[in-house]
Amino acid sequence: MLNYFYNSNIFTWIEKLTNFINSIFFALLIAGLSFALVFSPPDYLQGDSVRIMYVHVPAAWISLASFSCIALLSIFNFIFKIKHLTLITKSIAPIGLMFTCIAIVTGSIWGRPTWGTFWAWDARISSMLILALFYLAFIFIHKLVSDEDRANKISSIVAAFGLINIPIIKYSVEWWSTLHQPASIKITGSSSIHSSMLMPLLLMFFVLIMYCALIFLMKYKTEIIRIKKKNLKRL
Amino acid sequence: MINDLILMDGYGIFVWSSFIFTFLVCGIFYYKTRKTLKKYEKEFAKEINELSVEQKKIVLENSKIASKILSSYNKTI
Amino acid sequence: MLPKKVKKRASLLTIFLLLSVIGVFLILNALNKNILYFNSPTDIKISQDINYNKKMRVGGMVKKNTLNINDQEIRFIITDFKNEVEVSFKGTIPNLFAEGKGVVAEGKLQDKKFFIAERILAKHDENYMPPELKNIMKENAE
Repeated sequence: MLNYFYNSNIFTWIEKLTNFINSIFFALLIAGLSFALVFSPPDYLQGDSVRIMYVHVPAAWISLASFSCIALLSIFNFIFKIKHLTLITKSIAPIGLMFTCIAIVTGSIWGRPTWGTFWAWDARISSMLILALFYLAFIFIHKLVSDEDRANKISSIVAAFGLINIPIIKYSVEWWSTLHQPASIKITGSSSIHSSMLMPLLLMFFVLIMYCALIFLMKYKTEIIRIKKKNLKRL
Repeated sequence: MINDLILMDGYGIFVWSSFIFTFLVCGIFYYKTRKTLKKYEKEFAKEINELSVEQKKIVLENSKIASKILSSYNKTI
Repeated sequence: MLPKKVKKRASLLTIFLLLSVIGVFLILNALNKNILYFNSPTDIKISQDINYNKKMRVGGMVKKNTLNINDQEIRFIITDFKNEVEVSFKGTIPNLFAEGKGVVAEGKLQDKKFFIAERILAKHDENYMPPELKNIMKENAE
């Protein structure tokens, strides 16, 4: 099964997928942006500033999802020693870091008109900052530790440890009193966000997921070429 | 109408700056990633072309990926 | 069956994760009071060791019909529907600050019932809806 991710046809698959995403991406982006900025209604309380949600929330979701992904693959890699998983985790990490930063910055911009401050050291925002630090640690271990096996080992442990932070971020708004509001969209039960605003949110989420896929495929390709180049030298 | 879209009841500066920030960062990141990929492709192609004819033949016959990298590099120039 | 080496690594990682979960839990428990971004009026009422010279935050709802704005100050009552604290504030308030909405006040406590704020932050809830819908809901409620 795992060979499926790393067989000689992988480049054909990457190319096909990239072409497919490229063909639909701009249509999706324009649809997403026009719904987010023009067609969606303003909020009854926050007015038009609620539109920041359409970039802030998807970015936060992606940053949490990609760290969970990295952590689980790292644990898997640590136990079963499957080399190719490292290529995947290394390709995801910069995307996750970027979206964590986007979530923090857009959240900060959103905080100014709604809360009245750019920054508050509440549990949600602080734990997001810690997530960014975990991403940084993961990336820098791979950059600084020259022995690849060692780098994999250390970064796997860091990622596994960072996994504890994910439920803390998720539930920080319920466990402690925070300035950040509780989650509007719940995994179980009804969400407290009107469908005319939920639809653009999900559309923007989908657009950004497609963007992530594009970046991931490029990064993954780069990593494979790097490995192949090393093998070439051994010849 | 255009004015409404830009001003957004005074929230325009916040909304637009966060959207522009997001897409600017995404754009730069896309460009950088693409540039790195092209650089690696180029270096890889260069190294293959530096090999002797026999070695090159062996590499390209044994590794579908190597030949794919080479062909995608040739396509872009 | 899994090879011995794999089992060993799996158990090693499980122990490591278990220990770190317990460790993080203990740290968070110890920090519990500091992680809270604000105290509710009830927290203040039951608290024994209040430092009146230290800055702190009080949060809750702005009690309806208690907001009083004049030239010198803004006065209102923060409630958590069990206990109340009166707040006095001079300065600008965020747009979303209103009666019946969430608020966090930063400043110093004078006594257990009176708070002088230096900064007011608005705390909104997780409900998002278009204004027309809100009006319909209001009419229905009336």
